[in-house]
Amino acid sequence: MKKSHFIVAVLFCMTILSGCVDRKVIDDVNIATGIGIDKSGNQFLGSIMIPVFKPDKSFGNFTFVSKGNVIRDLVSEMQKKASQPIVSGSLDIALFGEDVAREGLIKTLDVFLRDPSVGARVQLAVVDGKAVDIFKGRYGDRGNSQYLTQLLEHNMNQQNLPITNLHRFLANFYKRGQDPYLPMLKKSNHNLVTITGLALFKDEKVVDILHENKMFYFKLLVDNHILGVVKVKEAHGESTVKSIGLKKKMRLIRRDPYTFSIKIKLKGDLTEHQERMLKEGEIRKVEKQLAKQIARECKMLIEDFQRKGIDPVGFGHFAKSRTRSFDFKKWNTEYKNAKFKVSADVHLIGHGVVE
Amino acid sequence: MNKEGRGVMIQGPVQERLQISPFMAAYVIISMQIGIGVLGFQRIIAKDAGTDAWISVIGAGLTIHIIVWIMYKICETVNGDVLDANVYLFGKIIGNSINTLFIFYYTVTCAAVLGGLFEIIRTWMFQSLSSFWFAAVYLLLGIYIVYGGFRTVAGISFFGLVIPFYLLFSFGFALQYGDFTNLLPLFDHSFIQLVKSGYHMSLSYLGYGILLFFYPFIKKPEQSKKFVHIGLLATTFIYAALAVITFAYFPLGLLEKSIWATLEMWKIVRLPILERFEYLGIANWALILLPNIALSLWVASRVTKRIFHISQKKSVIFIALACLIIVVLISTRERLNVLFDYTALVGFALAYVYTPLLYFSLLIKKKVKAK
Amino acid sequence: MANLFKSIKHIINKKNIPTNQKDHQSSLVKREYSKDQTEDWEKELTKSKDYQKSYYFNQKSGKKFTLTYFSTLVEEKVMDNNAVPPLLEGEFYTIADVKKLLPIADVELSNSSNDIPEMLMKGFVMLTLEGEKEFAFISSPKQVVRSVSAPEIEFSVVGPKEAFVEAIDQNINMIRKRLPIKELIAEQFIVGKLSLTKVCVLYIKGITNKEIINTVKQRISDLEKDEIADSSYFTQIISDNGNSPFPQLLDTERPDRVTSSLAEGKVIILVDGSPHALIGPTSLTEFFNSFEDYFLNWILATFIRLIRLFSVIFSIMVTPLYVAVVTYHYQMIPKDLLITLVTSRRVVPFPPILEVLFLEVTIELLREAGARLPTKVGQTIGIVGGIVLGTASVEAGLTSNVLLILIALAALASFTTPVYQMSNTIRILRFPFLIMAEIWGLVGITIAFCFLLTHLLRLTSLGFPFMEPVFPLRVKDFKDALFRLPFKSQAKRPQFLRTKDSTRFSKEKANKKKDIDE
Repeated sequence: MKKSHFIVAVLFCMTILSGCVDRKVIDDVNIATGIGIDKSGNQFLGSIMIPVFKPDKSFGNFTFVSKGNVIRDLVSEMQKKASQPIVSGSLDIALFGEDVAREGLIKTLDVFLRDPSVGARVQLAVVDGKAVDIFKGRYGDRGNSQYLTQLLEHNMNQQNLPITNLHRFLANFYKRGQDPYLPMLKKSNHNLVTITGLALFKDEKVVDILHENKMFYFKLLVDNHILGVVKVKEAHGESTVKSIGLKKKMRLIRRDPYTFSIKIKLKGDLTEHQERMLKEGEIRKVEKQLAKQIARECKMLIEDFQRKGIDPVGFGHFAKSRTRSFDFKKWNTEYKNAKFKVSADVHLIGHGVVE
Repeated sequence: MNKEGRGVMIQGPVQERLQISPFMAAYVIISMQIGIGVLGFQRIIAKDAGTDAWISVIGAGLTIHIIVWIMYKICETVNGDVLDANVYLFGKIIGNSINTLFIFYYTVTCAAVLGGLFEIIRTWMFQSLSSFWFAAVYLLLGIYIVYGGFRTVAGISFFGLVIPFYLLFSFGFALQYGDFTNLLPLFDHSFIQLVKSGYHMSLSYLGYGILLFFYPFIKKPEQSKKFVHIGLLATTFIYAALAVITFAYFPLGLLEKSIWATLEMWKIVRLPILERFEYLGIANWALILLPNIALSLWVASRVTKRIFHISQKKSVIFIALACLIIVVLISTRERLNVLFDYTALVGFALAYVYTPLLYFSLLIKKKVKAK
Repeated sequence: MANLFKSIKHIINKKNIPTNQKDHQSSLVKREYSKDQTEDWEKELTKSKDYQKSYYFNQKSGKKFTLTYFSTLVEEKVMDNNAVPPLLEGEFYTIADVKKLLPIADVELSNSSNDIPEMLMKGFVMLTLEGEKEFAFISSPKQVVRSVSAPEIEFSVVGPKEAFVEAIDQNINMIRKRLPIKELIAEQFIVGKLSLTKVCVLYIKGITNKEIINTVKQRISDLEKDEIADSSYFTQIISDNGNSPFPQLLDTERPDRVTSSLAEGKVIILVDGSPHALIGPTSLTEFFNSFEDYFLNWILATFIRLIRLFSVIFSIMVTPLYVAVVTYHYQMIPKDLLITLVTSRRVVPFPPILEVLFLEVTIELLREAGARLPTKVGQTIGIVGGIVLGTASVEAGLTSNVLLILIALAALASFTTPVYQMSNTIRILRFPFLIMAEIWGLVGITIAFCFLLTHLLRLTSLGFPFMEPVFPLRVKDFKDALFRLPFKSQAKRPQFLRTKDSTRFSKEKANKKKDIDE
């Protein structure tokens, strides 16, 4: 018995002496919260944003910048400038300059995928301009990365921005018959960043940009929930509708040519009308007008995608899921000839708290 | 405790106070079935049958019931464990030489599980973790458990399942990001593809063979049958549910890149007090794998004791040392994969070839003897 | 016995003597006695100061008799008022007459001189009669007993306010009053070569499993120890694993708790001189049950028990988790909390483990100092020390304030454990966890936890598994383990005790259901 006690004691001591592993004490590392990739000539211009904590509990940001040919180079270049190691485990947001995004993102994202310390909820966005400029601004009082992620998340959950993050993007990219999309950001001044639209990808490259005012219809097509706001114009004037519920049904009607029907059922609140309170009959008119508007706009969007050969809605994936031994090679040509029927039904259930 | 019965051979029946209750047998088997395989089986089974592989998961799960039924029959026939069966069938010399193979198999299994755990922790948490120290401490823990006797081993199996049970709920987060149309169209693969994928799946299910060894430790073996079969169903259900969630969460293209798909799914989990769940999950995995290590050590040391008449206290130390050496030698992922492939192959052969053969030979021998 | 008295001869030597003339006087006294008595035992006893031998003379029969006793062990008032007057004035010729004459019930006759020292030590008075070989022992022991007071360690707001005292007879009295049945057996053992401590094993015949009783008896009779100061000696000596930090017998100072354990079918060990009874077999969950739980409504009691369970886990785990997360797993910290943590850690020059150890040791110091000092001073030290040291160390930048909060909470949580011995264990447990957290972060904590789990699984209490009812799983025993379900559902005794009679009361009668308006 005594011998075994001794062995345990020796093992224990030796473990303490030699078993220690690489430590990352929170105040001894530079916690990267944002990463930006831009083009500078033929090279990449990388920027990493770290929060700087001040003793008075406020904090600012610091941005490391470096150039390199491969993404991995960028980080090792930056480590040379940093007094404490830069760690990527708390990455919140990754921004890509439009020029980089037009050349393809997968190489960069593959680095993220390979690094187990990067979470799947990292927000991605394409920047109209330079990503590094966005990091150099100063937004809100909670730090830039909090501002940027919250900006995106609240727009996704409560406004018209379709839900995206690293996992969504990769899933859409690797899913056959669907193309990814990312929000588009622009720095409007030193203290503000605006969402200007959506960058639409063909495979890994940005090919088109959807304007912000079409985002509502886009979100209707790609997401299952929407709390966004849309304007509707009819004879009595302009009104604003906030959607509170969405039911969507997509069906594959025929295969030669591929014909899809999309039925959208929207529940909403009438939040604002330009002139006066509306009567019951007039509300019905607003509903009809909005339904028509949704059907028209959605169809226009889809046909536009079709022309450009991109498929962010995932019709290819949908067709595949309804067809045994689906051939994606044929699909590329068949998509161009596919037909779409979009119908919408709007039901306004609330008109605010005053009569 | 357990002083008597150690150091001397127990060829006779196991004392009642060392036995476990019938339903605990189910926990022992489930805990042995759930191991390293759960973390990454999805990619391997999807190679052949794509998103239809969940059908293979259920199919392979059902075949186990037959094997386990045969195992019970074997043990009932000889009223003991597989070692008795071999000796009964082939005589002392040949029977015990076959039994010696079990020592190797379970020692290597133990090392493979430990190597797998080490690899996961090294990749996800500590790049500079020393395999020697990690394995040494973990094996020490294993020895400590085995010293407590089979009841302690069974207790660890129980807690190794019950405590980390909450992890299952975390996959609810992956459901939010899941797209179940990924699984459509159903039955888009040929039967052959499904069978192939089922074969790969059956490797993840391995571990129920432990029944052949701990059968004498079940209080009322007859009663334990129903619990064990329910347990097997539960494992099948867990694997199938996990496969379905994974296929919904990952499109096939992304799944091909995910070695540890189950772990990757935790990356999406975020709780108000916990930003990243996978670190908690991996740490918990050290508990989930503990029954695997303890049971393998227990079986290997018990077989050693039964054949060579060395006390189990000594033999478990030798076996742990052997494991330690193997773990230190398999320092790269390639070697680890080779080890996994071979143990899985042997395990498959033991379950699906050796067990039925043994049963039929036993039947024949019994009939011949009766005449 | 004789050897012993020789060895302490020089201590007791100063018998009845002024100190300045010690040597001369003592030799004189010795000579005097040795003239008179030749027996060995008396030589030793006379060296003690409280050894008394008086010579009397019966007025009626004219017989000479002597009374020999230890004045410290004998109630002299009883002697003077009840024994001596009849002996002087009554008429007796033989020793048998003495027995009839005396109004004291416990008078034993004997003629073996071997018994004499033992009987004298037990508080008997020896009476020898001139010309008789036989002599009588008159019982008149002195009772120095503290009066029964309220329980201090297991204090309860509601419920009985009685606690055990140091006298075993008094303690058994308190139990018997609560269980006035003939089946309550109190078997006595004498333990300890020197202390000859009275130990009683109590159980209810017909309920308690015989195996338990035999185990306890066996272990008590096998016990080797020269003196027993307290029942806690027993916890350490006869428990199944003496090298475990966990107590494997439950000690209590409440007679009501003892009674309820007896009724459950457990065995009680009472030790003379100890105000604590031991209950066995026990299980881990019982150490987190306060007896007050039974005085409260079952919903409240269950809630409080769960709170205690949570606080134990919290108390052990929180500082190791802090070390693990801050040292290795910064990724796990939510963004908003990260700011708080980093800003509070920035000024601290030490790695997290040292910072934690520094505070943990401080807390332990405060606790230990508080326990060693008189109650009132102790409390002041605790409060002042806690506040002053805490604030000062944060201001000096030696520790972060987040950690200070965690440590204080952990210390607070560790005091919710109702059994004192267990709460000590809980406080010690976090140190191995801390070290493992420092080495391998969360993985280290898991491994430490596995070691703890295995240790608990291997522990037994009088041969019964310590982790019961969780493992081996006995769902029915949960009714009074982690939860405290209503009394109605407690109709059966705990399964794990394997009692002879498992039914406490008829469940049907207790659960009679009435319809509306009946």
